[in-house]
Amino acid sequence: MLRSVFTKVIHDQWRILIAWAVFAGLWPALYIALYPSIGAVEEMQSLLDSMPPAIRQLFASSDLDISTPEGYLNIEMFSFVAPLLVMAYTVIAGGGATAGEEDKGTLDLLLANPIRRRRVLAEKSLAFLLGTAVIGLGMWLGLAAGALGAGVEVNLGLVGQAIVSALLLGLAFGSFAMAIGALTGQRWLAAGLALATSVAAFFLNGLGSLVDWLDAWRPVSPFYHYIANDPLVHGLDPVHAGVLVAGTLAWFAVAVVAFERRDLRR
Amino acid sequence: MAEPIIRADKLTKYYGRARGVIELDLEVQPGEVFGFLGPNGAGKTTTIRTLLDFIRPTAGRATIFGLDAHRDSLAIRRRIGYLPGELTLYESLSGRELLSYFAHLRGMLRDGRGEVLAERLDCDLGREIRTLSHGNRQKLGLIQALMADPELAILDEPTLGLDPLVQLEFFKIVDEIRAAGRTVFVSSHNLPEVERICDRVGIIREGRLLAVETVAGLKERALRRLELRFAEPVPVDLLAGVPGVRDLVVDGANLTCVVVGPVDPVLRTALRHEIEDVISHEPGLEEVFMAFYGGQAVGEAPDAA
Repeated sequence: MLRSVFTKVIHDQWRILIAWAVFAGLWPALYIALYPSIGAVEEMQSLLDSMPPAIRQLFASSDLDISTPEGYLNIEMFSFVAPLLVMAYTVIAGGGATAGEEDKGTLDLLLANPIRRRRVLAEKSLAFLLGTAVIGLGMWLGLAAGALGAGVEVNLGLVGQAIVSALLLGLAFGSFAMAIGALTGQRWLAAGLALATSVAAFFLNGLGSLVDWLDAWRPVSPFYHYIANDPLVHGLDPVHAGVLVAGTLAWFAVAVVAFERRDLRR
Repeated sequence: MAEPIIRADKLTKYYGRARGVIELDLEVQPGEVFGFLGPNGAGKTTTIRTLLDFIRPTAGRATIFGLDAHRDSLAIRRRIGYLPGELTLYESLSGRELLSYFAHLRGMLRDGRGEVLAERLDCDLGREIRTLSHGNRQKLGLIQALMADPELAILDEPTLGLDPLVQLEFFKIVDEIRAAGRTVFVSSHNLPEVERICDRVGIIREGRLLAVETVAGLKERALRRLELRFAEPVPVDLLAGVPGVRDLVVDGANLTCVVVGPVDPVLRTALRHEIEDVISHEPGLEEVFMAFYGGQAVGEAPDAA
């Protein structure tokens, strides 16, 4: 089992990862299963329509419309629950990638072995990629099971694409956290900073659609690329997805360069 | 002379403005056990972590096996074993899992040597590391450093927390490594330990290498405080004129003095009278420094900060 840095991460994480994936699946399963029993859809819709546009925009990618399962899922699941479920893993894992070992003091011991620093980062990143995929799979399975069980008709292919979009968003922030950790050697600073940045990015995208002068800045926010195209309705947009992938790779590169050059703490 | 295993050339490291080591010149020869002796904070760990490329020198450079410590670090690390000074292990692994993990990272075909060392050091590999005492963790640290039979073992304070019996077994292992022609670089702040296992000793204080001595030379110049209790009062000038005797005080049947170098002539002279008790105080580090730099007392060493 413990054959490489990659398998070591899996060895350390698999229990918590499975638990998290189950949790990430139960959440949408419950929501979608409840959908048919929201009897007073019209009443709820009129309530939503009466909400100030600022609130409406923050919590939905497309128009607030719970008369379709997609609209309901966008509000309840994809506006911020799904990103939060993914980022809770990617940001903490990424922030602790090397900084966790540096904080605890095991990094000297690890790097005394004949293994390059960049390889440690690469193997850990691959393990986190696998972990992120497992969480995405958990979400998809949960949602699919809930929809089938409750007889709600949703396009599970599009659901999958929306989940992939959320995973890419999570990876971008996870890789940002990894870069901060590689730069500073401080895992909680890294995770905290990434989380704070994601909150700011969330509001930038949400408010940007309301405030004229902010609108031009929305593409700066990863949330814009995650959901502005409404992947649950239109599918994953290659350009937006590409931006998230490029951001992830760029932060990974920053992490490698920073980590290779730095004096390690003890 | 063969190419040195470790060579530091004006190696200098500052952390911001704080002093690490200053213009350290050092050569460790193949097949020797080299002791790096100095008090805590003298720069021993800084030097070692530079050799392993965990930190990069501010100036100067180090080579190991003739390879550059930074540029060729990967090739170097294939051939060395390392015990960190403040050892932290993976708490959730068992000892056996830890050794297996590192054996794989090293590309070792088999890790039977780890089991043999564990047996000798009386270390239970089956237990989860979080349940181990400090001494048992230290044993694991030693085992992982030595299990690949490295050409060079760099051990930072190896006997920290080991009980005396295990220390003796560790000394034997070091003797075997020397006999096999491999090299050991060991840091310590414990003079008797260094005298026991090393061939040569580098003395470091406040970031500067003060001297490199053979252990024999160190003993020759070492100070030792001696207390003798005789059966009956002895002449005040009993040891006067014996080479190496200083600060002689005779009070009836009690005698105290400081001996520089071998104690043999002192004891031979003293044995003309019946001795009831002998107390010998091993010289501490500061006494060694005093022996080498008598005029330059503690705290007066040049400070670069």
